[in-house]
Amino acid sequence: MSAGTPLLELKHLTVHYGAIQALKDIHLVVYPGEVVTLIGANGAGKSTTLRAISRIIAAKAGEILFEGQSLLAERPDRVVRMGIAHVPEGRRVLARMTVEDNLLLGAYIRGDSAGIADDLEQQFERFPRLRERREQLAGTLSGGEQQMLAIARALMSRPRLLLLDEPSLGLAPIVVREIFATLRQLNSAGVTVLLVEQNATLALQMAARGYVLEAGSIKFSDTADKLMIDERVKQAYLG
Amino acid sequence: MELTTLLQQLINGLSIGSVYAIFALGYTLIFSILGIINFAHGAVFTLGAYFTYALTGARFGFNGIFAEAQLPFGLPFLLALFVGAGLAGLVGVLVERALFRPLRARGADPLLTLVSSLGIAVALVNTIQYFVGAEVYSFPSSVLQGLPPSVNFGTPEAPLVVRTVQLVIGVISLVILVVLTWFINRTKTGRALRAVAEDSTTSSLLGINTDRLILLTFFISGFVGGIAGTLVGLSVTITGPYFGIAFGLKGLAVIVLGGLGNIPGAVLGGIVIGIAENLLPSSAVAYKDAIAFAILFVVLLIRPQGLLGRTQVQKV
Repeated sequence: MSAGTPLLELKHLTVHYGAIQALKDIHLVVYPGEVVTLIGANGAGKSTTLRAISRIIAAKAGEILFEGQSLLAERPDRVVRMGIAHVPEGRRVLARMTVEDNLLLGAYIRGDSAGIADDLEQQFERFPRLRERREQLAGTLSGGEQQMLAIARALMSRPRLLLLDEPSLGLAPIVVREIFATLRQLNSAGVTVLLVEQNATLALQMAARGYVLEAGSIKFSDTADKLMIDERVKQAYLG
Repeated sequence: MELTTLLQQLINGLSIGSVYAIFALGYTLIFSILGIINFAHGAVFTLGAYFTYALTGARFGFNGIFAEAQLPFGLPFLLALFVGAGLAGLVGVLVERALFRPLRARGADPLLTLVSSLGIAVALVNTIQYFVGAEVYSFPSSVLQGLPPSVNFGTPEAPLVVRTVQLVIGVISLVILVVLTWFINRTKTGRALRAVAEDSTTSSLLGINTDRLILLTFFISGFVGGIAGTLVGLSVTITGPYFGIAFGLKGLAVIVLGGLGNIPGAVLGGIVIGIAENLLPSSAVAYKDAIAFAILFVVLLIRPQGLLGRTQVQKV
């Protein structure tokens, strides 16, 4: 898997929240086509890592490279234009807008109306429930539907890298299975995924490789298969 | 009240109410995006009126730096109105760049921003006075060239006469309202504006340049404020540099009445107050300005969130 040039590379990434060090010297690599997961306890810095990549929080030191280009000088909207879509923690659908408006906003950076219409249709095929609720306000959807909407919205920008923050959070097991099945399809269709999850079993089943984050630092990383049987991971995260 | 008089006053109320509505939209757009009331809006309203006045080629008075100055050309009124509003919009943009954005970047308390916007309002008012003095200005009657002073919608036996000025300002404001509503609800940029108003961080994760949209919002806000200033100046007179301050207070009543940050609410609030003022018996006309606040008081007792406001006003 680790052949070729990385799609995303974090080097010595350090992030502070005020006086508190949230991330310390993070090294992480994602190759094209991979699913890589970042696992760890609540507050370990998983979401912070994704937020730093999307540039909605500032990095204190280190480097973030996407296809070899530094993201550190870019605004968040530029990062999206470069090909990174972020499905934030808690889904963050625009509750007072319709499902369709949410999806069209996902394609905000694009100007090809025919392509956008095709992709909209594709999302509705992928998530038929969104089609049924097309004209409904996103705030009236169930948690699972909102997660589907958040993922579909991110896909509308045609990203090359998808950052997923806790897609299973607060959802019923059957909905989680449905969402992860979709994520697998997406990955086989060529979308690279960096997945943040508290549910380590689920994440390691889907990912090729994983990083274990503890108190803002990477403790170790390995292939998902090896992490699954690693005693330290088992004890701390697999229960 | 006779039926014809009632209809007449309803038309007048609708007309001035539409001006209130577009003015209040200027407040409401900025409030819905930044959660802050921009007190400089009243001063931008005043500036819009002066810009248009100057652009029509009219002469300034005896005081101020620009005493007796006039432009070497005069634009037709409608063109001057839009160019003047555009200039007012640019002042709005300047206020955002010089004041709101730096404060936002420092994470300043909203109260500080609010007080600073009051400061800008005072500074703008004094600048106006410095340049053009404190006189009352009236648009020359030639701006409505070729139009009769009033129109009779009734029959010669039962006249229903409305001043042409009222019709002109009503029609222009209604057109602006329709265009703005279409823009916000039906265009890609309008959709992005609504997204930023709801959640600016998420909007930036969708590729929206939020600072640029905020700048656009200030332009639109200044633009509609400038239009409203000119229209009120046309309807009555430009009463001096403080012209927009009293009007600004009424605009606040309008948006609170309709529901803070609520666009249809601002329109409804403007029209309600416009009509209510005009239905006052002539003996009570002196209390016209108090009416807006009386209505506001009563409505807020019953509906604290305003007529169309959401129960939860707090931004999360």
